[in-house]
Parts: sequence; structure tokens; C-alpha cells
Amino acid sequence: MSLLFFFIIQANAQIGVMKLVGNNTKNYNLGFGAFIKGGVPVSDAGDVTLEIGVNYFPSKDAGEGTAMCPLKAGYRYTLNGTGEGFYLEPQVGYNIYGVTSMLDDQGYNVDLKYHGLILAAGAGYLFSIGNVPFDINLRYETVMAHGGSNNLVSLGITKSFSFGKRDNGN
Amino acid sequence: MRFYVTALLTMFFLSSCLKQSIPDAMLGIKDHGKVTATLSYKINGNAVNISVADADNQGATNYTLGCSKNPGYYSLSGISNAGETSFLFYTDSLAVGNYKYSGTYGDMFFIDYFNTAEYVHAPSDSLSFTITSYSNGHISGSFSGALTPLVTASTINNIFGDPGSVLITDGSFKNVPVFY
Repeated sequence: MSLLFFFIIQANAQIGVMKLVGNNTKNYNLGFGAFIKGGVPVSDAGDVTLEIGVNYFPSKDAGEGTAMCPLKAGYRYTLNGTGEGFYLEPQVGYNIYGVTSMLDDQGYNVDLKYHGLILAAGAGYLFSIGNVPFDINLRYETVMAHGGSNNLVSLGITKSFSFGKRDNGN
Repeated sequence: MRFYVTALLTMFFLSSCLKQSIPDAMLGIKDHGKVTATLSYKINGNAVNISVADADNQGATNYTLGCSKNPGYYSLSGISNAGETSFLFYTDSLAVGNYKYSGTYGDMFFIDYFNTAEYVHAPSDSLSFTITSYSNGHISGSFSGALTPLVTASTINNIFGDPGSVLITDGSFKNVPVFY
């Protein structure tokens, strides 16, 4: 654990607004999520990232909704090679816990629980206000389980907490 | 850059192959064709076979072969000429895995075979169901076990036969619809 903490020298807290897309998703309102993300620089341009979060999508019907808890690893690559500016980030992971709650015909609550593989692709922009680094990002993500998939588009903003500095060679 | 474009296209391709949402897939709400559900096993070597064409078109509360959701458990039930076969999955959310009921839990009816009720009764009795697939609202898997026949039913004390004398072998079920 201490080794993991040692290597993750940059952590981020992120909030996002997201929308389920695909078949039979019109009944869901905009969702929201919270994430913690850590990164390990592996080059001037790239970071290996690890992210865990919670997404929640309330239904337009009272008492119903979907929640997911994704754990993902990714590779964030800044296009200008500096570790800041525009970046691309594919991610792969596992949905630690997913549940869709709904009411059956008798009004009883039914919880459909699932896990599943996660694939995600994101793009964003890393910048700083003063000495505080920020990240605005757009991501498409799919969770696959039971022969179906939950697909979402997420717009997020991240505030970074750095425990170390990238070596800029200066 | 080529790597990222490839990764993005692969993800879109994979997700587009799965046209249902996960809840719809679990509930079996979809556009598939008719599905044939089967359940078969041998009871002391005698074959029992149940097959239902267009299994999704059965009533959710009155079916020949299906699995229904109840508060705290799921009930799989099949009706054949020999009688009824049933199994209860004690879970709030059905998933792939093994579900075993053993005699230490108490008496439990599982099979009616030509008017003889077969129970998990003796401590050594058990019936084990393994769900190997739960996709598109249908479960498939296997089961086996050893049961004890109920010889005489009584309001005070049931009289059972030889413990573990009813062997359930080669049990399998396929495409059994889950009704909510």
C-alpha cells in the first residue's frame, strides 16, 4: 500500500455530469459522478492512471435508478508532449458494483446487480489557474455485462492534488 | 495517435454489438426470436426431460419451465409428465455461481416424481445448482444431488425413506427465462 502511495504522485478529485445513451435510456435523467484518480508519469507526455468512482443515474420514475462503481486503468497522453494541454486517454477496467433498482408490477423493489468489463475513451485539457492544476474532460464509457451494455457520455472537471512534480529537465 | 483511434473504434464497435442496456438484458426485454428452454436430469437413472418452445411467451406466474423473482429468493420450477422439479436460489440478485441447499438447513421439497416427493432431509442430503450463464434474461447451468423420499406425509411427523437414496445426476438447464 505504501508502495502504491509512493508511486501515485498525482491524485485528482473529479466531479462529472453524465448521460446514459443507447436503447431504452430516455427514462433516465442526467447523472452525476465523483471520482478519485491517481497518475504516475511514465514519460514527458504520458501518465499511467488509476481511477475509481461512483456514477449515479436517477430515473424519471420515483424510486428507480442506476448506480455503478468503476475501477479503471488508463494511459493519458498529452498531444504536445509536455504533460499539459490537450490529451487523449483510453481506459480499461472493471465495474466493481453496479445496480439498477426498479419497481416490479406489484410495486416491489427489484435490484438488478451486475459487474462487467469497462472500456472508456476520453479527451481533455490540462491547465493551471495559478498553481492549481485543473482538467476538463469529455469521456465515452461502456460497461458490458449479461449480454448488454450501459453506455454513457461524461463531462467532468478535475482538480489535481500533486504529491510530486514532473521532471521538466529545468 | 493511431493507437488511440484504434482503441476508440474498437470500443464503439464492441459496445454497438450489445444493443441492449444491462437491465434490459437481465430482464430479457429484447428483440430476440423464440427461445427454447430445457431442463433435464436423471433420477436414480431415470431420465426426466422438460422442453418449452418459445419459453419467453409463458405467463410470468403460470409457466411450465421458468424462474420467478420473489422477495429474498428466486424460484426455478419445471413441470413434466413425471411431476414437478423446483429449486430456490436464496439471493436478492441472481448471478452466475453455485447455489447449494444441504440437509443441515432443514427439510426442503425439491422434486415430485410420479407422486413421490423427494426432499433434502438427511444431513448428508444436498442439491447443488450452478448457474454458468445468465444472459439476456435467461439462465443456464447444471445441477446434481442426493435426496430422500417422503414415504408418508403426516401433519405431525413425516416419514422419510432411506436417506440419500434418490440420486440426481446429469442435471442441466438451458435458456430458462427469469421472470420479474
